[in-house]
Amino acid sequence: MVEAKTVENIEFKWGKQRGVGGKKKDVKFYESFSYDGVEYALYDSVYMYKEGETEPYIGKLIKIWENADMTKKVKVLWFFCPREISYYLGDEKPPENELFLASGEGVGSTNVNPLEAIAGKCNVVCSSKDSRNPQSSDEELQEADFVFYRTFDVGNCRILDKIDDQIAGIEVKFLLNRVGNQKFQWTESYLGEKVLIEEKVKGLQKVCHDSNGSNSKSVAQTTPASEDKSKPNITKDPHENYSGLSKRPKPDEGLTRLANGKFPEASLRQPSREGFKTNCQIQEVTRRPEADRSKWFKGLPWEERMQTAHEQGTLVLLQNLDPSYTSAEVEDIIWHAFKQSCTVKMIQRTALASPHSGQAFVIFQKREVAEMAVAKLDEGCLMLSNGRPLFGSIAAPCFPGKQSTFFGHLVITKLRIHRQRVMKEAVSTSHCSQPNTLEYEMAMDWCLLQERSDIALRKLRQQQRQEMRKLWATSVCVGIVSLPTSIVIASSLIQRDAQLHVHKHNRRNVYAESRSSTD
Amino acid sequence: MDSTSTAETDYAVFLEKVKRTVYIDNLSPQVTESVVRTALGQFGTVKNVQFIPNYTGPKNIPCCALVEMECPRQAKAVVLEITQFPFMMSGMPRPVRAFRAEEEMFDDRPIKPGRRIQCRWVDRKDPDFEVASKIKRLVRKHAAEDLFLLQQQLAQEEKLAKQQDETLKANYKKFSIIDNVVSDGTAPGLAKLYNMKVFDA
Repeated sequence: MVEAKTVENIEFKWGKQRGVGGKKKDVKFYESFSYDGVEYALYDSVYMYKEGETEPYIGKLIKIWENADMTKKVKVLWFFCPREISYYLGDEKPPENELFLASGEGVGSTNVNPLEAIAGKCNVVCSSKDSRNPQSSDEELQEADFVFYRTFDVGNCRILDKIDDQIAGIEVKFLLNRVGNQKFQWTESYLGEKVLIEEKVKGLQKVCHDSNGSNSKSVAQTTPASEDKSKPNITKDPHENYSGLSKRPKPDEGLTRLANGKFPEASLRQPSREGFKTNCQIQEVTRRPEADRSKWFKGLPWEERMQTAHEQGTLVLLQNLDPSYTSAEVEDIIWHAFKQSCTVKMIQRTALASPHSGQAFVIFQKREVAEMAVAKLDEGCLMLSNGRPLFGSIAAPCFPGKQSTFFGHLVITKLRIHRQRVMKEAVSTSHCSQPNTLEYEMAMDWCLLQERSDIALRKLRQQQRQEMRKLWATSVCVGIVSLPTSIVIASSLIQRDAQLHVHKHNRRNVYAESRSSTD
Repeated sequence: MDSTSTAETDYAVFLEKVKRTVYIDNLSPQVTESVVRTALGQFGTVKNVQFIPNYTGPKNIPCCALVEMECPRQAKAVVLEITQFPFMMSGMPRPVRAFRAEEEMFDDRPIKPGRRIQCRWVDRKDPDFEVASKIKRLVRKHAAEDLFLLQQQLAQEEKLAKQQDETLKANYKKFSIIDNVVSDGTAPGLAKLYNMKVFDA
């Protein structure tokens, strides 16, 4: 808990007073104040740092007052970040700058803290489409530090989409976006806002009366609460470990996959862009004429065909495909580009594979054809519609044989006498590990390692994506390939947070950097 | 048009299948289909198990599989359980991972209806050629980076496995020594000598 340290040299000034309260009417309530050069007002969102933690908490000031003994307190309504309630989000991966306003009855939604615990002002915009919420423009959403449109009920421990009428005794309209300008001008000389201020004062006074009863109670708690935030065991021990786990590497990959998936459609809108005359002709890739013929005979299972092809030298590994292509589409592409028919198998994407480019195995009919194709792809450039040049190489697949080394499964070497008998009967059943076993501890080690590798992989993907974008931006066919912020294609694949991702993609990189620099 | 409608229905059916499927990672190579079936059968009905073969990566990486369940709710339950508690299959203590499946994990997927691809050959004189070659080189570089990262991860995994192995062996030895001492009479004998009680747990 941050102690109310003596404010040594940090500038502080009270703003507009709202009223008085408390048993002896010696507690003064305020609407605004200036602290360390920053102006704060009621219902502003602020950062609060807890000692020893790297990430600040974010909350809304819902009450500001000064006690008789000159101590200054604020009551804060908390925002939860996705990390803190990851268990309740389950599968869902909201964007990093989405917050959840605390609501409902229970411990953990609000706290009283000394005013000096405030570390800074925060710009949180409510993006809810609720009718009571003044809608913010796109720029405001982009510039905001955080957004929120949902609440987390601390009583039921549930995420709610619908916002109640009152949260923590305050009417919700004060917690949503402010009408008019976000900045609350508390000097009355600013004429434009004067009307607003008066309206607010009336509203606030009403609220003040409503919550006067609860005020005296909260003021009486002058003992600094021992916890900055007392949460009902929302994160129990095992869950705490897993709340990190549930962040999977998928979100970034999902994003770029969608971004890439949009490109082909984008190119359709600008077919005339290829105006600058060169020898290249764009060919529309349609189904090959003989597409159906291949269904006549089943053929051997793929692996055998691949093996024979590899021996004959007709197997080619094609790279830098759009990962969402299917085998049939790639066959068509080859047909159009080389006038050759072939059989293709797209390599299935695993968690480790790159989300930017896909690969496929192509079996040509003759070795010379395969070599010719590779050579041609090397020298020239076969550009696909979203600015991807294909290239290939004679493939050298490794066939999964008897894999004997697998790290992580430990075996205790038993006494030789028992070994023959026991080994045959022992079958390790699949089970969930329980927390009080040695096995659990070791499993945690593996989970930690997995998390680390995931993070490293994610960073790498981010970097690769940036490099790709830079190159694409320099491409002349920039009309096709540039970030499709204006193109919103509603398909079943796109979720809401992915859309926000696209808007905020640049922002996020900058934000991530600034976050790490504040640590 | 007939072909588009069948394509769409095919695609819809495929999408529905994707929703029901779970992608499992970090499997030991000794895991067989029946093991996966029984393991995930605890969560619901398993309709189909398909291992994803590894043709391009290094030999040591763990295996992965696609498991099709009866309905999306079961798939979700599987993923949730496996993420919350470490689930062991065919050996301990390395847990498996599970994710919701995605379209590209299936190699036999139908074409997404309504998508059109265009391709063209770019000439050397075309200003784009330079960029295209750069992109090609970049992609190759990325592939090499990926491989490098993968190898690093494998090295770390090996280290962890070794470390755990040693700790485990040490613990086992310690416990077996204690066991032996108690069972063959040394402990009770010594206890008599020192006039102490042996705690017979």
